[in-house]
Amino acid sequence: MSALPWFVAAWLFGVGLYGLATSRHAVHLVGCLTVCQSATYVLLLGLGFVDGAGPPIFYDHPPGTPAVDPIVQALVLTDIVVGAAVSALLLAIAVQVQKRRHTLDPQALRPLRPPDSAPERSSR
Amino acid sequence: MSVRIRLVVLALAFLALAPAVAHVALALPGFGAPISPYGQAVNALLPDLRHVTNMVAAVNFDVRGIDTLGEECMLLCAVTGATVLLRGARGESGAERAGHVPGRPVIPRADATVLACRIAATLTLLLGLSIALHGMTTPGGGFQGGVIVASSLLLLYLGEGYAVWRTLVRGPVLALLEGGGALLYVLAAAVPLVIGRPALENILPLGTLKDLYSGGLMIVVNAAVALSVTGSFGLLLLEFMEETRAPDRDSVPDEEGR
Repeated sequence: MSALPWFVAAWLFGVGLYGLATSRHAVHLVGCLTVCQSATYVLLLGLGFVDGAGPPIFYDHPPGTPAVDPIVQALVLTDIVVGAAVSALLLAIAVQVQKRRHTLDPQALRPLRPPDSAPERSSR
Repeated sequence: MSVRIRLVVLALAFLALAPAVAHVALALPGFGAPISPYGQAVNALLPDLRHVTNMVAAVNFDVRGIDTLGEECMLLCAVTGATVLLRGARGESGAERAGHVPGRPVIPRADATVLACRIAATLTLLLGLSIALHGMTTPGGGFQGGVIVASSLLLLYLGEGYAVWRTLVRGPVLALLEGGGALLYVLAAAVPLVIGRPALENILPLGTLKDLYSGGLMIVVNAAVALSVTGSFGLLLLEFMEETRAPDRDSVPDEEGR
């Protein structure tokens, strides 16, 4: 039972990684990346947990009462916000790819090909 | 590479890394045991040292404030990148006017929707401001409050419709909030340097514990983060919504983006 948080983190990471490897759509890819990211949140918050301890906020209970680790919580907090903005950046890139190559399948993308000489598939 | 080959490569990589992963996983402490002396030291020392009760905010804005400045810059870069990518393809022309979705009629909102959204948006805005302001005392802070304030903008859009929303929510204002917040953070880090102290040293009076004014310089940094996050997420909302719409006067959308 005490290993359950680690299993949840490993399972989330594995599921996300499987999605990343088998993805056929760039938006799906961004979603899988955020699933992998959530695995790190579960792992960090699990590492910071202390048995029988309260939140690391000493408003209601006086300083000195047992509290969980605030450092991992701070790491997770900033990463959630920054991660959301980075996901938005990735989705903006996906919008650009769709506009220029008319596909969102990572499989169909070939690097280093000027958009003007794209094959017939991309002509509308 | 086909999906099958990709899965095989993934499996090979996993096999290669498996011993290291197993080694680390077996060395993990049991769930519920404190692993880091730093976290417990923060809990024990910071209420006295910084006069704040929210340890998470204290870690973010004081103990590892320089790291948070880095994350703030990441936020700024990510939002700038997304905005440039979206706006660069669209062109600056017509950016100040509300566009419309081609082929979709603008249906006026029901009065009940408008009323409910106005009430909900106001309450959400107030909640976000409160959470941002009380970041030093109770759970919350600039990051969470900023996101809540930005989501109230979305409620405003739901009630008022896109054209009115664009007259209420100005892109340059959001950009100013975002950049101004980041600048405020940099100034908060640089002012102690000017008077010969380490960067981001808490030079303001610390205030009293559990008071709205507690934590000294952390309040400035918290406000900077709140402004920046509000501006960032508002700008992202604006750019993604504008992306689905065509300019009003120019009926031929310029989609190739040169």
